[in-house]
Amino acid sequence: MKFVLTIITTLSLLISSLLANEVNVFSSRHYDTDIQLYEKFTNQTGIKVNIISGEDAALQKRIIEEGADSKADIYITSDAGRLGLFDAKGMFQNSMSSLIIDKVPKNYRSENWTGISKRARIIFYSKDRVKKNEIENLNYEDLSNLKWKNRIAIRQSNSIYNQSLVASLISNNGIEKTKTWSEGFVKNFSRTPKGNDRAQILAVASGEADIAIANTYYYALMLSGQKGKDQQEAARNVTPFYPNQGNRGTHMNISGAGILKNSKNKQNAIIFLEFLLSKESQDHIVKNTFEYPIIKDFDSYELITNMNLEISFKEDLLTPVSDFAKYQPDALKIMLQSGWK
Amino acid sequence: MIARINIWYLSSFLISLIVAIPIIMIFSSFFETTSEYSLVLKETFLSEYVINSLTLLIGVLILTSIIGVGCAYLVSFYNFFGANFFKWALILSFAVPAYIYSYSLGAFFDNYGTAYSILNSLSDNIISNSAIPKLDGMFGAMLAISFSIFGYVYVLTRTSFHYQSQNLIDLGKNLGFSKKKTFFKIILPSARPSIVAGLSLVAMETLSDFGSVSFFGISTLTTGIYNAWITFDDLTLANRLSFYLLMFIFLLFTIENFSRKKAQYHTLSKSGFKTKTKINLKGYKSTLAFSICFLVFFISFLFPVIQMSYWTILFPKHFFDLNLIDLLSNTLILVILSCSLLISLSFISNYGNRITKSKLLQSLTTFSISGYAMPGIILAVAYISFISFLDENIFIFENYNMKSFFIGSIFGLVVVYFVRFYSLANNGIKSGYLKINYSIDESAYLLGYSKIKTFKNIHLPYLKNSIFLVIILLLIEIIKELPITLIMRPFNFDTFATTAYTYASQDLLEAAAAPAIILILISSAFILLTSKYILNEQS
Repeated sequence: MKFVLTIITTLSLLISSLLANEVNVFSSRHYDTDIQLYEKFTNQTGIKVNIISGEDAALQKRIIEEGADSKADIYITSDAGRLGLFDAKGMFQNSMSSLIIDKVPKNYRSENWTGISKRARIIFYSKDRVKKNEIENLNYEDLSNLKWKNRIAIRQSNSIYNQSLVASLISNNGIEKTKTWSEGFVKNFSRTPKGNDRAQILAVASGEADIAIANTYYYALMLSGQKGKDQQEAARNVTPFYPNQGNRGTHMNISGAGILKNSKNKQNAIIFLEFLLSKESQDHIVKNTFEYPIIKDFDSYELITNMNLEISFKEDLLTPVSDFAKYQPDALKIMLQSGWK
Repeated sequence: MIARINIWYLSSFLISLIVAIPIIMIFSSFFETTSEYSLVLKETFLSEYVINSLTLLIGVLILTSIIGVGCAYLVSFYNFFGANFFKWALILSFAVPAYIYSYSLGAFFDNYGTAYSILNSLSDNIISNSAIPKLDGMFGAMLAISFSIFGYVYVLTRTSFHYQSQNLIDLGKNLGFSKKKTFFKIILPSARPSIVAGLSLVAMETLSDFGSVSFFGISTLTTGIYNAWITFDDLTLANRLSFYLLMFIFLLFTIENFSRKKAQYHTLSKSGFKTKTKINLKGYKSTLAFSICFLVFFISFLFPVIQMSYWTILFPKHFFDLNLIDLLSNTLILVILSCSLLISLSFISNYGNRITKSKLLQSLTTFSISGYAMPGIILAVAYISFISFLDENIFIFENYNMKSFFIGSIFGLVVVYFVRFYSLANNGIKSGYLKINYSIDESAYLLGYSKIKTFKNIHLPYLKNSIFLVIILLLIEIIKELPITLIMRPFNFDTFATTAYTYASQDLLEAAAAPAIILILISSAFILLTSKYILNEQS
């Protein structure tokens, strides 16, 4: 046994030193189109990208337990709260190059991680059933109002996107106010929460609800025709609305990445992150996943022309996305206590 | 006592111990502190989670026993149109993982789903979404889980029915029993170990399911486990909840073991065995039997296959994007390594249990296999924590890189599969062993056979069918396994299941359909190839 172990250890060391020009990515953001992007990176730089994708908490646990032996260089996930939580455990290293700092708005990065794309969690409504004066100047905060009783569709409380949305409300309005809000909001649900964001938008299209809360790219995915003609048609009957335009702006979340504390290929990892923030990569992400680009001075008109979405709306740049990690546990607690399944 | 402690005893003890490691790891959570989520959970949804878990469990147990035992009874005791076809076709349901079944069910009945598209393309009037029934929530989850795993009950029960002697049925006749009474008083009780073995696998899979319940939006104990871990970052509480789940299963096993304490289920000696004569069904009875089997076959297998094929044909690009050779070779490596390990070690453990007859060993085995009720991801995490603990605390491993050897390697993946599926392999072999009378062993020893020779020349031929059955069950489980593969795998290592998952998690079930259909077809092919062994008609 000892002998076998020695041989294997030596061999693995030998192999890893031979293939040193690589960057190892752990990702809980699973887009097959991301893989195409990584292939572009390899072609341009000669650096091979090795990937393990999986469930967020499990990947984090694996990286933590592997400790100093971990081969992971970069961790990518699609919620600011999850990034922040992992960062709080000291798993990332300060690695934001001046190029990254220059390109990404301050709100969407920290010293140890950066957003690579952003998402808006907005309202989708039926023009037939929601009056113009009802939707005008609407804020997330207004959704606890009795006039929305039996009219709202949203997914379950265990959805990380909902937890971040509620965390942002806590960050702005405090725990007590958010608790009261949540109690009213839950009473307005038109059905027991089920399905993903797309199912909420379809609930509005089919008449099960008047308004839904969902991330914009689910809507764009249907409009793109990748979910078939019927859903494309259904999405056209639903209108996107960006809340909180009169005050702090619409709730935004990010997909983000950070270089891990025990990274053995730090230089490659920085080059990789900078590549993800290049115009070419951002364009690839927008066109394939329909998220918003994260870098400054880059707007993809694809989203407006083909996807019926806005790009010049007011984003919430006042609430640091790093607050999501801080308030997510309180958010889930409030949601559960107000009966949000 | 000392005489009993031999190499067989020690090896079975060791195997059970390895399988029990994750259970011991999660038990250690009781010595750590938890977050405030435990309080939040108690005051909010804990009772609802428990009730939902129990409701789901009871519903699935009832459905799978009716479907599984019912179909097994029909094809084993009667001749009707299609009986020989359904005999093996009903096993095909195994090829469809519960999560893929859930996708199909959801996508078909959803707003603007497949049913909507089909109905509206056939009709000139617009058919509204509200006119289409919604098979979701608790009912949807029950259906999806039951139809994708009733095969456990069906296969094990059918094998047991098949080997029932005509003498038993004649006994019923001689006692003046009606067919119904013969079924309930003789046929069913004598198949009890097999039915229970099937149902206990069903119970464990149901309780550890996360994919289907989260897809259908019902909250069970596994939801609590995930919330505790993921949002509250409280793995301790997640582990404790998993441990309660296991204790519940362990309790069920113990009650079952206790209740059949004295009963023995050996087949009669060869001379006493009389092959059954199947009853020919005619007229409406034949049609009825056919319809029942066809309905089960359609719902469990054809329906998801058609839904997946429909998408694959509608969006063929996703099919051509697959790297088939890589996916296939990855899957095969995992299957071959894991199956060999599982089968050989299950034999050692069963044989050890048989010849030592040690109560302690039996309890340890029962305890360790209840780990099957643990969500796969919790098991994998317990394993990772254990390796990390060894690496950091046990000095003899100091000079070796234990972590890269056991975590993120094919070897590590196979070890965790072993721990995960040991109960499946062990139960399958055990139900075969239960039927070999102890007196056969004793006669062999009297004839001067060594223990190994008894095993090789007497047990193995007897157990041949059980082995094929176990191999096929393992193979299918491994091909469709998801949470462990995701977390334990090496870099750039994909299987059909992980590929389907990647697409499904970006909300592209249409693209997940291509790997899913291949996964189903491969499993089906293996089932067909071995069905003649599984259904071997000789005694």
